[in-house]
Amino acid sequence: MQFLESVGMALRSLISNKLRSILTLIGVIIGVMTVIAVVSIIAGMNKYVASQISSLGSTTFFVDKFGIIMSDEEYLKALKRKDLNLLDMEAIKERCPLCWKVGARAVAFRKVKFRDKYLSDIAIVGATANITEISSIEVGSGRYPSEFENDHNRRVVLIGWEIADNLFPDKDPLDKDLKIGNHYFRIVGVAKKRGTFLGQNQDDFVVIPITTFNKLFGTRRFMSVFVKVENFGSMQEAQDQVRLVLRARRHVPYDKPDDFSIMTSDTFMDLYRTFTSTAFLVMIGVSSIALVVGGIVIMNIMLVSVTERTREIGIRKAVGAKKKNILWQFLIEAVTLAVVGGLIGVSLGSLIAKIIAATTPLPAAIEAWSVITGLIIATSVGLFFGIFPAMKAAKLDPIACLRYE
Amino acid sequence: MLIKTENLWKVYEIGNEKVQVQALRGVDLDVKKGEYLAIMGPSGSGKSTLMNLIGCLDTPTQGKYYLNSRLVSQMNDDELAFIRNKEIGFVFQTFNLLPRATALHNVELPLIYNGTESKERLEKARKALKMVDLEDRVTHKPNELSGGERQRVAIARAIVNNPSLILADEPTGNLDTVTGADIMKLFDRLHTDGNTVIIVTHEPDIAKYADRVVHIRDGMIEKDERLK
Repeated sequence: MQFLESVGMALRSLISNKLRSILTLIGVIIGVMTVIAVVSIIAGMNKYVASQISSLGSTTFFVDKFGIIMSDEEYLKALKRKDLNLLDMEAIKERCPLCWKVGARAVAFRKVKFRDKYLSDIAIVGATANITEISSIEVGSGRYPSEFENDHNRRVVLIGWEIADNLFPDKDPLDKDLKIGNHYFRIVGVAKKRGTFLGQNQDDFVVIPITTFNKLFGTRRFMSVFVKVENFGSMQEAQDQVRLVLRARRHVPYDKPDDFSIMTSDTFMDLYRTFTSTAFLVMIGVSSIALVVGGIVIMNIMLVSVTERTREIGIRKAVGAKKKNILWQFLIEAVTLAVVGGLIGVSLGSLIAKIIAATTPLPAAIEAWSVITGLIIATSVGLFFGIFPAMKAAKLDPIACLRYE
Repeated sequence: MLIKTENLWKVYEIGNEKVQVQALRGVDLDVKKGEYLAIMGPSGSGKSTLMNLIGCLDTPTQGKYYLNSRLVSQMNDDELAFIRNKEIGFVFQTFNLLPRATALHNVELPLIYNGTESKERLEKARKALKMVDLEDRVTHKPNELSGGERQRVAIARAIVNNPSLILADEPTGNLDTVTGADIMKLFDRLHTDGNTVIIVTHEPDIAKYADRVVHIRDGMIEKDERLK
């Protein structure tokens, strides 16, 4: 009962003192708003990256000569390693029974041209036909280069949405001949639009058979092999088998480390986390500063309120209020203030996150937990900054309070 | 015996130069249940200090105070708050009502702090307001009431919890003579109903309503006279 009364009292004084309330709450509102907006954007990015990585699947791993390079030294060291080639892929396919699907992909950058229109620096992806097993690229019309076309070095291509949009604005690109570098390719498929991520266009690519790629754009390209296993349980064993096959083929002495890397979706997720977690913490930390300021404003107003209501405190004490009754009354008021600010902040923050997601390349995801966290933070701010004024009120001497003018 | 004090001393230290002010210097006072007592004295005589001690708002520097044969002079703040809630109904010169609360809410305030259920609380508060003839002012706020009405709300608040003692500090000090007389008649009625009433005042006209007058001067009881 006392609780409801205190909440009601806080709300009443909020409503009856509009300007003061807005000034009191603005700090908490801005604080919670920024935190929610930042957290929503971070959550959006995490969700996007996680969905991209998980589209690779937990049953897929990759092998290449570089692995994840964190320094120049590592890069120079990795550069000296032998390239992986299609024969390595074939060997894995043959001698790793747990490897269910084995494929490879390689990338080069070239100009693509149709009649007088062209685009530069387009990612030319050479891939085995089973790239569809791990690719998040969806086909809009037509198809991927087939296995047959792969076996016979056919010059066929699946083009990204951007290519179709720019080079074939008013006609169907299917069955047209696209010039990639110096060679003509028959267009057999057009991919669906994928949009941008962090301002990065994701539609400026073409996919061709890897055999054709090797022939026309060089075999010594950076190539990675992907392996899909039938179920997650055999991931580790399959990786061990691949390791054995490759070490033997590449003549790695038993006491030397691998001269290639095996990466799973976890590897990529870890990498993403390594790069972003510190930045995210700093972002949240910086946006929390506003919350501290907001809390101090609430503390200040509560101190004023305690002074203004000294007589009220005296009356309450005279009729039997204990210290804890007074303490709770003022604490609940502070928390109510902060929670009201928090609610407004959460709404505004979500709105801002949506606006940012709609107008900039950043994605955003407003999730229940971030809203709840926002409110918990607001409550904590109220508790933390309300406890001092409340304790001050609770300790007041009833006689002095009753005489206070 | 409702109130029994033994050699009550109250010494204040003013400032940091340890200037001591002896507000009470050994007061022995006995008050029986059902008595109507006035404590009289000029300002600075120590009567307010005595009232604060009797009202359990403060503790003596020395001496013992038994209220309802319970030793309250050594209790801590929260125990005193409990005693104030249960045993004492205050009426102040300046009314001391919560300005933003209705008459009803002001009257139910003591009941909030002893955990009475909300339904019972409202019932008791209405009954108390009826006893002071304010049943039609229940939803009024203090600034919508006259001085006399405010003081009657304060009296309703003082009696709502059935205290052993009604303690009034200059209850007519802020009222005109006619309204003051009304309020004093109300105290008479409360006394007739069996309540113990103590009124602290410096006005002889007010003190003569009581059955017994205790005169305080320089922190000591100067005279203890029975009028009726």
